[in-house]
Amino acid sequence: MALEKKFIGRRGFVAGALATSAIAALSACGKKGDPAPAAPAGDEKAPAEEGKQPAAQESGAATQGGTLKIYRTNPASIDPFNAQEDQGISVVYALFDTLTNFDFEAGELKPLACESWEANEYATQFTFHLIDGAKFHNGDPVTAQDFKYAWERICNPKTTDSPSVIAYHLAPVKGYDEMVAGQADALDIECPDDLTLVVNLSASYADFPYVVSHPALSPVPSGGAAEDFQKFFLAPVGNGAFKMDGEWVDGQYIKVVRNEDYHGEKPLIDGIDFMIFKDLQTAFTEFEAGNIDITDIPTGRIGELSQRYGVSDDGYVANPGKQVINGEETSTYYLAVNCQDPAVEDKLVRQGLSLAINRQAISDTLFEGSRVPADGIVPPGIDGYKEGAWEYSKYDVEAAKAKLDEAGLKEEGGKRDLNITLVCNSGSGHEDIMQLIQSDFEKIGVAADIQTQEWAAYLDALQNGDYQIGRLGWVADYPIMDNFLFPLFFTGAGDNRSQYSNPEVDDLMNKARQTVDAAERIALFQEADKMIAEDMPLIPVMFYRHTQIASRRVNNLYFGPTKLMNFNKVWLSE
Amino acid sequence: MLKYIFKRILQFIPVFIGVTVILFALTNIVPGDPIKLIAGEKSLSPEIELQLRAANHLIKVDENGLPLLDENGEAIPESLAAQYGYYISGLLHGDLGNSYQRKLPVIEIFKEKYPYTIKLALVGIVIEIIIGIGAGMISAIKRYSFWDILVTLTTSILVAMPAFWLGMLLQLLFGIKMKLWTGGGFYLPISGAGGAISEFQDWVHYILPAITLASVSTAYAARIMRSQLLETMNMDYIRTAFAKGLSSRQVIFKHALKNALIPVVTYIGIDFGGMLSGAILTETVFNWPGIGFEVYRAITQRDWPIVMGGVTLVVVVVLIISLVVDISYAFLDPRIRYDKAKE
Repeated sequence: MALEKKFIGRRGFVAGALATSAIAALSACGKKGDPAPAAPAGDEKAPAEEGKQPAAQESGAATQGGTLKIYRTNPASIDPFNAQEDQGISVVYALFDTLTNFDFEAGELKPLACESWEANEYATQFTFHLIDGAKFHNGDPVTAQDFKYAWERICNPKTTDSPSVIAYHLAPVKGYDEMVAGQADALDIECPDDLTLVVNLSASYADFPYVVSHPALSPVPSGGAAEDFQKFFLAPVGNGAFKMDGEWVDGQYIKVVRNEDYHGEKPLIDGIDFMIFKDLQTAFTEFEAGNIDITDIPTGRIGELSQRYGVSDDGYVANPGKQVINGEETSTYYLAVNCQDPAVEDKLVRQGLSLAINRQAISDTLFEGSRVPADGIVPPGIDGYKEGAWEYSKYDVEAAKAKLDEAGLKEEGGKRDLNITLVCNSGSGHEDIMQLIQSDFEKIGVAADIQTQEWAAYLDALQNGDYQIGRLGWVADYPIMDNFLFPLFFTGAGDNRSQYSNPEVDDLMNKARQTVDAAERIALFQEADKMIAEDMPLIPVMFYRHTQIASRRVNNLYFGPTKLMNFNKVWLSE
Repeated sequence: MLKYIFKRILQFIPVFIGVTVILFALTNIVPGDPIKLIAGEKSLSPEIELQLRAANHLIKVDENGLPLLDENGEAIPESLAAQYGYYISGLLHGDLGNSYQRKLPVIEIFKEKYPYTIKLALVGIVIEIIIGIGAGMISAIKRYSFWDILVTLTTSILVAMPAFWLGMLLQLLFGIKMKLWTGGGFYLPISGAGGAISEFQDWVHYILPAITLASVSTAYAARIMRSQLLETMNMDYIRTAFAKGLSSRQVIFKHALKNALIPVVTYIGIDFGGMLSGAILTETVFNWPGIGFEVYRAITQRDWPIVMGGVTLVVVVVLIISLVVDISYAFLDPRIRYDKAKE
C-alpha cells in the first residue's frame, strides 16, 4: 500500500535544495518568470509548456543558454546496456528518464517516466503506468514495450559480441536466469497496453521500484533505432531532457544538447560537453585556465580551494562563491575480513580490531577531513540510517584491548598472539590508509603486515577468499538499505567477500524483501543490520564525500549523494 | 634494391610471430582475470561471466555460441594454442577482436586513436629534424661560440629533464601564468581533449605536446649532429675539398653533411618509430587521445585484445620504419649499396 504513489513528478528532485539559493537570488530583484520552481515537483500536474522561457538577462536571475563543460574520465558505456560506473551513468542520466527517481530532498522515491505504480500484496508483481505523450529523441513514443525491449536487450547474451555486465539489476525479474544463460529470449514482463508495464519477479522484492531508478534500466526505442548496436552504443537515442549531438568521441568528448521536444520542463543550458581526461591533474589545470566548469579536486588541495572558492551550503549545490561540493555520498570504505580465516574467525577479535582504528585520524591526515568516520555500513542519506548503528565501529582503544583479552589473546610485553596481514591494491593511496591502521593495531599489541597487490591480482585474491583482511569500497546502486545488506552479507551473495553466513540474518532480509510497507521493511533491515553489527564480518572505515568543484559561472548545480548530477536546473552566468 | 626490400619484408614474418607468441604467453602468465576485472569491485554473476568467456574464445562453445559444459557442469577452457589460432585467423581477416572493457572492435578503437598519435609524431619529428639538425650544425660550425655554448647547455638540460615534467611546466607557464600576465587575453588549451569543440583551432592543441614529445630526442639529435659534423670536418677529404678552393658552404653541405647525417638519420628514424608507437608519458600529461595511453590503460585492465592489437601495430610500424631508414642510407651515401650482384 505504501508503494502506491500518485505523483506527477519531473526530475525536480533538487527543487527544495535549489530553491533556497534560487529564491534568494530571485527575490532580490522580485521578478516573476521563476526558472526554478520553489515548490517541490510532484504537487500538481505540470503542463508541458511550463518553465519554457525564463526571464533572462536580469541580474541575479537565471539566464538561459551556454554550454556546461564537465570533466569526465572515459566512460565504460553511455548506452544503458552497459552503464556500470558513475562517469558513464551521469551521461545516461542526462539522456534518459528512468521509471522512477529518488528525491533526496524529500527523502522519497518519485515517478519520472511513469505517473504511478503499484505492487501486489507479496511484492512479486509491479505495475507501472507510463506518462502519455513522452517521446524519444527520434520522435518514437515511449511505450511499455520500449522498457521490455531495453531490459531484454541487457539480459540477452547475443545482443552484441559480449554480454552486458550489469544485467544483475534485472536478476529479480522472472525469467532472468534462463535468459542470461541463452536458453530463453524473453523476460516475464507484460505490456497489456502501450502505457502499462507489468513486471513479474521471481521472488518478493518490495524495493524493486528503487531498482528501476537506476539509469541502466532506462527505456530504449524498440522501433529499430538500437538495431545497429555500435551506432547506438556511441550515440544513444534516449527519452530525457538532453540528446546526443554527434557521437561519443572516445577519449575526447561527449556532447549533448537540450532536447527541445522534451515533454517536461526543459533545461536552461543549451548543452553539456563532457570533456574526457585520463589524468585528473591535466583536467584540473584546464579548470584553472578557465577551460572547463566542473572537475574533481586533486588530493591535498581541498582546504586551499575551499578557502579560495567557498564551500557549497549543503554540500550538494554549487553556486558562485560556494563552489566546492563536499556532501556525503552513498558509499562506504571498509575492511573485508575473511571470516573463514582462523585468526579472525572469532567475532570478539573482529570487534576488537574495529575498535582500535582511529577513523577520524585517517580522514584528517590523509583526506583533509573530507571523509566521514563510518559508524556502520549504511551511510547517512539512506533511509534507515541510524547514528552509531554499529556499536563497535568507533575508536576506543581501551575497549579494543578488553575485547582481545576477552577473546583470550592476552597482552604480554606489549604483544599479543595475533598476526594480521592487511592487503590492498597498489596505487590510489590505499597503502597510506593501511599504514595508519597498522599503527593503530600495534597500539593494542597486534602485529600487522601490509601486502600490496596490483589491482587485477588483488581482485582475484579477494574473490577466491585468499586473504585475511583487505580493503574494499561499496557504492550503492540504489539508495536503500537492502543494497548494502543483501549483496554484502547474504549467504553466498556475489559480493559477500567476508564469506559471512548467518541464517537468522538471511531470514530477516528475506522477510524484509517481502514487506511492502516501507516503514516495516526498514525496521526489519535495521534489525538485520544490528545482528550483523554484532558479528562484524567487515570493518567499516569511512563514508565517502564528494570532492568536486564548479567554476564561478555555474549556478544551481545539484550533485546528489549517488553521484548523479542534475543538469535540468543549472544555469550559467557570464 | 627491390630484392633487398623483399627479403627484408620476408624477415618480418618470423619477427612478428616471435613477438606475438611471447606476448600471448605473457598475457596468460600475468595474474588477474580480465573477465572478472570487467565488473570492477562488484562481482559478476556466474552466468554472465560464462557468457563473457564464451564470447572471447576463452572457453569452448557449441555451434550456437553457447558455452559447452562437461559432465560436472563446468566450462571447458580453450587451449592456449587454439586461442592463438583464433587471434591469427582473426588478424588475417583484418579482425583484432573486441575490447573486453569497451565492447568495441579493437580495429575501430585504433582507427580512432591512431591518427592522433601519427599527427603528433609528425609534428614532433618535424621539430626534431629542423631544430635538432639545425642547432647541431650551428654549434659544430661555430664551435666554442656563444651559440655553441647555448646549444650544449640547453641540450644538457633537456636531456636531463623528464618529458612529463617539462610538459607540466609548459602547461603551468602557458596555460595558467600567461593568462594572469595578459589579463586572461591569451592562454592555451592544456590538453588534447575536445580539440574540435573548444574555441581553439585544432592546431593550437599540438603546440605544447609536440614540443614536449620532441624535447629529449631533439636534444640528442643536436648533440649527435654536432659531434658527427665535427668529426667529419677533421677528415682528410674535407681538408682536400677546402684546398681545392671550395667555399665553406659548399664543403659543409655537399661533402661533410651527407656523411655526418647517417647516424643522425638512424637515430631520428628509430625515434620516429618510437613516437609512432605512442608516447605514453606525453599522451598522459596532455590527455592526448592516442594509442600509447590506450595500450597502457589496456595493460592495467588486462584488456588483452587491445594490448595484442597495439603490439601488432607497433611491430609492423617499427619494422617498416627501420626498413625505410636502411634504404635512406643508400641515398645519403652512394657507397652503400644493397645489391652486390649489380656490379
